[in-house]
Amino acid sequence: MKAFVALVHRELIEHRGAFVLAPLILVAVMFVPTLISFATGRVDGRFTGFLFAAAPMRVYEFGFLAFGGAWCLYLIGVLFFYCADGFSADKRNNAMLFWKSMPVSDFKMLLAKLTATLTILPAMIYATALLSALLLFAIAFVSSSFSGAGGLVMLSHVGLVYLQIALALLLVLVIGLLWYLPFTALVGAMATVVGRWAIPLSLLLPGLVAVAEWVVLGGLSPVHTNTWRYLSYRADFQVSQGYLENWFSTDVPFSVSAFANDLIARTDWVQIGLGAVFAIVAIYLASEYRRRVNDN
Amino acid sequence: MTEMSTTILPPIVSAHGLKKSFGRKEVLHGLDFEIPPGRIYGVIGHNGAGKTTMLNAMLGLTNCEGTIRVLGEDPFARRAHLMENVAFISDVASLPRFLRVRELFALLSNIHPNFSQAKAQSFLEGTDLKPDLKIKHLSKGMIAQLHLAVVMAIDAKLLVLDEPTLGLDITYRKRFYRRLLEDYMTEERTLIITTHQVDEIEFMLSDIMFIRDGSMILHMQMETVNDKFTQLVVNDPSKQAAARALGPVYEETRFGQTVMIFDGVPRSQFEGLGNISTPTLSDLFVALMQRPTANPETAK
Repeated sequence: MKAFVALVHRELIEHRGAFVLAPLILVAVMFVPTLISFATGRVDGRFTGFLFAAAPMRVYEFGFLAFGGAWCLYLIGVLFFYCADGFSADKRNNAMLFWKSMPVSDFKMLLAKLTATLTILPAMIYATALLSALLLFAIAFVSSSFSGAGGLVMLSHVGLVYLQIALALLLVLVIGLLWYLPFTALVGAMATVVGRWAIPLSLLLPGLVAVAEWVVLGGLSPVHTNTWRYLSYRADFQVSQGYLENWFSTDVPFSVSAFANDLIARTDWVQIGLGAVFAIVAIYLASEYRRRVNDN
Repeated sequence: MTEMSTTILPPIVSAHGLKKSFGRKEVLHGLDFEIPPGRIYGVIGHNGAGKTTMLNAMLGLTNCEGTIRVLGEDPFARRAHLMENVAFISDVASLPRFLRVRELFALLSNIHPNFSQAKAQSFLEGTDLKPDLKIKHLSKGMIAQLHLAVVMAIDAKLLVLDEPTLGLDITYRKRFYRRLLEDYMTEERTLIITTHQVDEIEFMLSDIMFIRDGSMILHMQMETVNDKFTQLVVNDPSKQAAARALGPVYEETRFGQTVMIFDGVPRSQFEGLGNISTPTLSDLFVALMQRPTANPETAK
């Protein structure tokens, strides 16, 4: 277990640029101009005055949710490129010879990479999302204090909003990562075989399968096949529907328990289970390829 | 190592009918050999002779026909387990370049049960290698030093070095082998080295293997090499005919002198013919690469 944890940690060290440094730079890029604009009075009363007065908590809720959504999109992007690059990175500079000299099986090596996509790598983005929201809340709270809307009561409300959205975001991340697990595993497994060609191939492969079904079984077009319908369903993580969709049109405070109950109830857990099995099989096959092919 | 110990202790490596093909080309033609513990083996051959393939078979990096056992285990099926007791350097530039030296040591102490961080650090004392340096910023020689420190800090029974000093200058090469002998070969370990700089490792070898075109043409202890092979330098043209009558396996002219290498001819027969010595490994290698087999019965 100690070796496995070390291998997962190794993925963070190798890809700290995408998962630690770049997000921190983005936060700095967003934070510094925001701070300057507040400090120099460039932000007008529509934000610091009216909105805070009308629905003060909505600013915090929307702000954090928007930041969380943006960071989730960033995470999807970097995880995709991580899978396409990280699973084949050991081939670079003959490093495969070094890793093969370690008492760790190829399956364990690849499983550590897949585990990293579920744990430490998204955790870094989640921490950055929390940090960016914290900075946003700090700026918003200080500026609202200047307009007389601050105080300890307000602070406790803001803290509660922060906690609720943070928990909701964590739940979205956990379920979302499990939902997309077969995709990350497939891209990773393909990258083990074809390296960075996994990027175009992973986009092309679903289309090819749908075309194959269309050619063999017929139908109106490839996008009207069962393959395409299934892949469309599996690619769509419906987080913005249900509770969140209704909540946007009301003025009730965000409730993480209601959100969690709704998201858990709407999640297709059978598909998540099947996806996990598919991911393990894909990684096992990739590890057998890696074990048998002497790339050096 | 005496004959007695080789018969009592099980071999570290044993191979029987070891074959390997890439496509239609067979690169190993049924090798049979055993490597007893505690020896220092030099595996010597031309580029493409099959040395690295043979080592890869030992290390479980490639699957072969025939049987090969390392420490009693099938290396291809049990590579991960085997690597607890086998260390290897197949390329000096293979260390992961994104790590710092201290990160590498920390990682290895978690991954490898027989790696000692304290030992590795002690091997680097007095060098320019600092813990915070990134491997990608190190020179080739420093990476070689670091890699050697890493493998020497692994308490392994077998160490395999495949061209470990490739591309290094003479100073680093000498230092590399000196440290290996002084700091690592102090216990009952087995070392297998391949290199083209044969003469630089000759002093440390206990056994040699010559491989040519996927076949083992010589597998012998160094003491036997000294007894079996003789180099004769004949300056007098009138004595060259007598020397040739003894059946040299190789003959060449160096700086106006005729040099002959003999296999299995008693040295007493060379008296009065010229200067007698034991051929260096590189001379022997050149000589034996010319003929069909050197000692097929020993190799088997």
